[in-house]
Amino acid sequence: MIWIIVKKQLLVFWRNPQQLLLLLGLPIILIAILGASLGGLMEGGPVSIDAKVAFIEHGNEQTQIDQFLNEVENSKLPKDAITAINNSTEKMTPITILKEDILGSDELKNIIDLEIIKPREKANVLNNKEYAAVIEVPENFTYQTLKSIYLKKGTTGEIQVYKNEGNQLGSTIVTGILQEYQEQLSFSTFAGKQGITEEALQVDPNAIIGETVTINQKNPVTAKNYYAVGMAVMNVLFIASTIGSIAFLEKRRHVFNRVILADVSRWVYFIGIFISGTIVGFFHLSIVYGVSWVLFGLSWPNPLGFFVVTLGLAVSVGGLSVLLTAICFRLNSEMITNFFGSIIVTVFAFLGGSFFPIGDLSKAIQVVGNYTPNGAALTAYLAILRGDGISAVLDQFAFLIMFAAVLVTIAAISFPKRGQIV
Amino acid sequence: MLELIDLSKKFKQLYAVKNLNMFIEKGEIVGLLGPNGAGKSTAISMLSSLVDPTTGDVRFHNKSILKNPSPIRKIIGMVPQEIALYTDLSAEENLRFFGRIYRLKGAELKQKIDEILELIGLTDRRKDIVKKFSGGMKRRLNIGVALLHNPELIIMDEPTVGIDPQSRNYILETVKRLNEEKQMTVIYTSHYMEEVEFLCDRIYIMDQGNLIASGTKDEIKRILSAEKTIVIKADRLNDIFIESLRQDPTISSVTVEEKKVTIIVPKEINIFPAVLKLAEEAKLELNSVDIKTPTLEDVFLHLTGRALRD
Ligand SMILES: Nc1ncnc2c1ncn2[C@@H]1O[C@H](COP(=O)(O)OP(=O)(O)OP(=O)(O)O)[C@@H](O)[C@H]1O
Ligand SMILES: [Mg+2]
Repeated sequence: MIWIIVKKQLLVFWRNPQQLLLLLGLPIILIAILGASLGGLMEGGPVSIDAKVAFIEHGNEQTQIDQFLNEVENSKLPKDAITAINNSTEKMTPITILKEDILGSDELKNIIDLEIIKPREKANVLNNKEYAAVIEVPENFTYQTLKSIYLKKGTTGEIQVYKNEGNQLGSTIVTGILQEYQEQLSFSTFAGKQGITEEALQVDPNAIIGETVTINQKNPVTAKNYYAVGMAVMNVLFIASTIGSIAFLEKRRHVFNRVILADVSRWVYFIGIFISGTIVGFFHLSIVYGVSWVLFGLSWPNPLGFFVVTLGLAVSVGGLSVLLTAICFRLNSEMITNFFGSIIVTVFAFLGGSFFPIGDLSKAIQVVGNYTPNGAALTAYLAILRGDGISAVLDQFAFLIMFAAVLVTIAAISFPKRGQIV
Repeated sequence: MLELIDLSKKFKQLYAVKNLNMFIEKGEIVGLLGPNGAGKSTAISMLSSLVDPTTGDVRFHNKSILKNPSPIRKIIGMVPQEIALYTDLSAEENLRFFGRIYRLKGAELKQKIDEILELIGLTDRRKDIVKKFSGGMKRRLNIGVALLHNPELIIMDEPTVGIDPQSRNYILETVKRLNEEKQMTVIYTSHYMEEVEFLCDRIYIMDQGNLIASGTKDEIKRILSAEKTIVIKADRLNDIFIESLRQDPTISSVTVEEKKVTIIVPKEINIFPAVLKLAEEAKLELNSVDIKTPTLEDVFLHLTGRALRD
């Protein structure tokens, strides 16, 4: 029965070519105009991050290693254990690994400019805005770490990172790397405690670097693509007001009464509206993106991620459709759909960044914008365009579904009761 | 079969329907008559389970429909006063959709659609979009949609408004035929007396939310047995004449239309001399003075002092 309602709704939609053309044509024209006029704005190669990073090392690593080996020699450990530890001395340089294999690797050389600083210059460096981050290795770090890994005594040392808030990207990268590194060290400790001493210091510099590089060297998003997505996520919202108007017309023309008199539950109708909104929203997005792909070369590196975001947004549009319908039925007026179509969509589009990346201006607006369906979808679409996987957009997907669920609930509460629809 | 008990509907301060009592037996055609705003459509919405009454009850086979409207919905075919159709869809698509929501499908639905299209004379326009139909064609489809599921009870709310006499006759004949051939029960709402006179076995007359008369055609006309209706025509009616008619104690009702005054007087009184005298005093030239055989229209006039239509 629901499907009968949906099918008819789609047919009515389809029978209004002007409306259809407007809904599809408007975003495509906007995409073309904005794309052409803003062509060069965000173009260019990967974002070049040239983060200057200071590295302060207290104490000497080799001295600490010697001290550690000395202690092992004089301990009551079994002979072969001592031999095993001695044999893996070359791997036992956590600071050198960090300094040379990780931060100094070829991959990170483009991003990070590492400077070794003497401890007494620490204060100067901390006050110097040029540095994106300052890494400080405490005294006895190596000694403590080795002891923790091999002798299961104490914990690994903690490397300190001072972030320069002014250089977010650089400092974020450095923090990310160190976090990953620290985690790997802790894991080694854990592994060591399980008795896998041979393999003890299992830091894999490539894993750490790989992770960092993919996060930060994503595909850049061009202005054209940005606005294509911005316009698509904004214009799909008009589907909701269109579905709402069609539904209200059914009430005004008394065809809704016929449906009720056929003993069809009003909830069947209600769900039918939700599903219609979702389906039309999904097709709308697919068509707008399809045309953008053909005409403007907007392509998606991760089709599945694209599908997930599109689905989430379409479900939100379904939620909006059914809420607008419920309010129209309740107030017996179409006013709300006009208000939504003219004012709310514009505000949503503005906050959600469809007109320009407003989130870059203010953190607060960025947060608010991400609570609009179009804003959340835009953020997610951009992540996909930059080359992120599905996991990067799950938050937004969850938000879109939740958003729809909340709207459907409000709609269900405000939908007029049986016998009250006059 | 169907009973309305002390049914009232209040919109804010206004009683659209007040303490309405009605019954409908299987197989009869019942007329519901009244001027604009009488409360006919509101009464129909309540008895068909679309709108809950403010007070009172509707009983279908002795069970209230308020808690469980399904039984009555299954047997009702509703022809609303408005054209309740999808104007962007074709006649056939409308019939198919409404047939589907009445759980018809496949060959049965197809056959039923053909049958209805034939009945309402739209077979060769079946593929056309309703928007392009004439008013009368829309009206006919509006009726056709209500007949898809072989309803036992068909409710028609002013189904002939705004259509030419030919289509109107066709509709009236069709209703009569459905009643005779299929024993369909009919509730027919109108403010055309002649339609109701032609179709209905029993009649309810409403005005301003109240039931003002009910019974068979003859019973209702007998209300007028003690009175007669006289129509006075004149090209230039003047206020002096009308005022003096109103002052006359033997005249119980004076209704003025353009070039025409209708008065009601007791049967035994010969009012002609008085009328002629008043006309002379008012310097009015009369065209004619006639006695009319009473119609339901006159009953309404008698009961309310107003014409049924403006
Ligand atoms: N939904 C509503 N809200 C408020 N008032 C209403 C509503 N529906 C009807 N009314 C009022 O109730 C009264 C009766 O209306 P109704 O439509 O039942 O009359 P009707 O007899 O069908 O008239 P008509 O011959 O013009 O169709 C009118 O005064 C109307 O204004
Ligand atoms: Mg009416």
